[in-house]
Amino acid sequence: MQAVKTACDLPEKAGRVERLTWHSWVCAGVALLAMNFVAAQTPPVVSAPLQAPSAEARGINDWLMRMHEASKKQAYVGTYVVSSGGSISSAKIWHVCEGNQQVERVETLTGAPRSIFRHNDRVVTFMPEHKVVRTEKRESLGLFPELLQSTDNRIAEFYKVRQEGVERVAGLEADVVVLVPKDAMRFGYRVWTEQKKGMVVKLQTLDADGNVLEQAAFSELQLDAPVKMDKLLYMMGKVDGYKVEKPVLVKTTASAEGWVLKTPVAGFAPMSCYKRPAAASSAPGTDEPLQWIFSDGLASVSLFVEPYDKQRHEKEASMSMGATQTMTKQLGPYWLTVMGEVPMKTIKLFAGGLERKK
Amino acid sequence: MTITKFPTTTCERLSALADGELGKEELLLLLQACKDDDAAVGNWGTYHVIGDVLRSPSLAAGSSSPAFLQRLNERLEDERTRMVQEPVPVPLNVARREPAANDSIFRWKLAAGFASLTAVGAIAWSSAAMMSSPPGAQLAQAPLVNQSALPVLVVASPQGPMVRDARLEELLAAHRQLGGASVLQAPSGFLNAAFETPQNAGR
Repeated sequence: MQAVKTACDLPEKAGRVERLTWHSWVCAGVALLAMNFVAAQTPPVVSAPLQAPSAEARGINDWLMRMHEASKKQAYVGTYVVSSGGSISSAKIWHVCEGNQQVERVETLTGAPRSIFRHNDRVVTFMPEHKVVRTEKRESLGLFPELLQSTDNRIAEFYKVRQEGVERVAGLEADVVVLVPKDAMRFGYRVWTEQKKGMVVKLQTLDADGNVLEQAAFSELQLDAPVKMDKLLYMMGKVDGYKVEKPVLVKTTASAEGWVLKTPVAGFAPMSCYKRPAAASSAPGTDEPLQWIFSDGLASVSLFVEPYDKQRHEKEASMSMGATQTMTKQLGPYWLTVMGEVPMKTIKLFAGGLERKK
Repeated sequence: MTITKFPTTTCERLSALADGELGKEELLLLLQACKDDDAAVGNWGTYHVIGDVLRSPSLAAGSSSPAFLQRLNERLEDERTRMVQEPVPVPLNVARREPAANDSIFRWKLAAGFASLTAVGAIAWSSAAMMSSPPGAQLAQAPLVNQSALPVLVVASPQGPMVRDARLEELLAAHRQLGGASVLQAPSGFLNAAFETPQNAGR
């Protein structure tokens, strides 16, 4: 009888444990689909150090390059779930690669309906509710392999890699790899990378204590799926009945705009700087903000500068959304917003370091 | 030996159902029998646990004491209550945010006990990391809708309330799109651009 009693207790316990698990899920935050995406963009990489080292011998750059290559070359259809803060979002993704042509389709399953198509660096976003389609070029997305191979690649200086065994995600055996930050200026990442080719199937962003801030994973994934590139391209070009918008991004430099980061933040290098015209929907009188982007190879920080507006910019503040930290600050006649997937400490260093050029 | 007080046939049918081996006819009989049987749900769960344990012996290792489970449950309840109470929305023009049309997709997750959490964090693609912020830096937020129908989210931060308005959403979207300079963020950047909040949908 005793045994039966224990067995009967179990379901209750199971229920509670399940709740606990969801607890941590919900606390968690968002992250990466794809290394796949960036990854996907870039021309084929020809590089010697990538000769498939064994799993044990792989360094951080080997791992990253393997993930990159796998997500780029693989054809797949999957459902991707992102959990950040208290919300969960998901999208269905189709990806196909022929030669050096990459085409991808993303359909959101939560929030406003969106269809996003990407052909190499060209991105087309359909917003069916408003009959608007936005077309743009995302040149920054192509940086990754160059970054990894260049002598400026300092990722290994700021992160180390640790293997944590093998787990199953979306029906696939995956190596679990943790990218551990070497200082307190950045978050860590736990990455599940499919064993055969290396595609990233799950990713968590971790704070210094190892808490999950955001996470994302394929809930189902069909590799080598029969995705037809011409069909996707046809759908991508079907803009009849839609108003076509082309947001303009003007490339500039921080220096040309009169800004300088007087104290560099360890590991973060300036990547690019843009001005963008104010969106039609923003409040009247808002000027285009300047966006200066920094990256340490894994995490990125954006510095937005716009004219200070007494009405809109009331109080300096900081907030945290999943892994994304944000703070605002008045700089004389300017209003600064710093945003990035880094600890607040790092955000503050950026905010404190930005100055008008003398 | 009789292991439970109810008819063996119901138990057997439950077991077969848990193993996916019960025919339609049998299922109907079983459902009928279960209607009047309060213990059936408990047994249903038990068979699943037994099945899980048989398939994966490691599950059998951690059977915790009732006292522990009781404490755990209390802590969970406590935490959930705190989560619900802590948000201090700064009222603008208070209007209820309508539930997203797709809420039902995750309804099964709500069943896992997080209805309260998801309601607090009811914004399309991200919300304050209430649980991960350090003590004293608790963030609170409430989705609000002002009269121009633009969702405005007021976030109480240690430095005072911060309006998570359309502008901030724009900056966030811009950051996530162009933050693609990084290896790990770009993918999510691409996706997050997809998960923009409704007010961005018109652009």
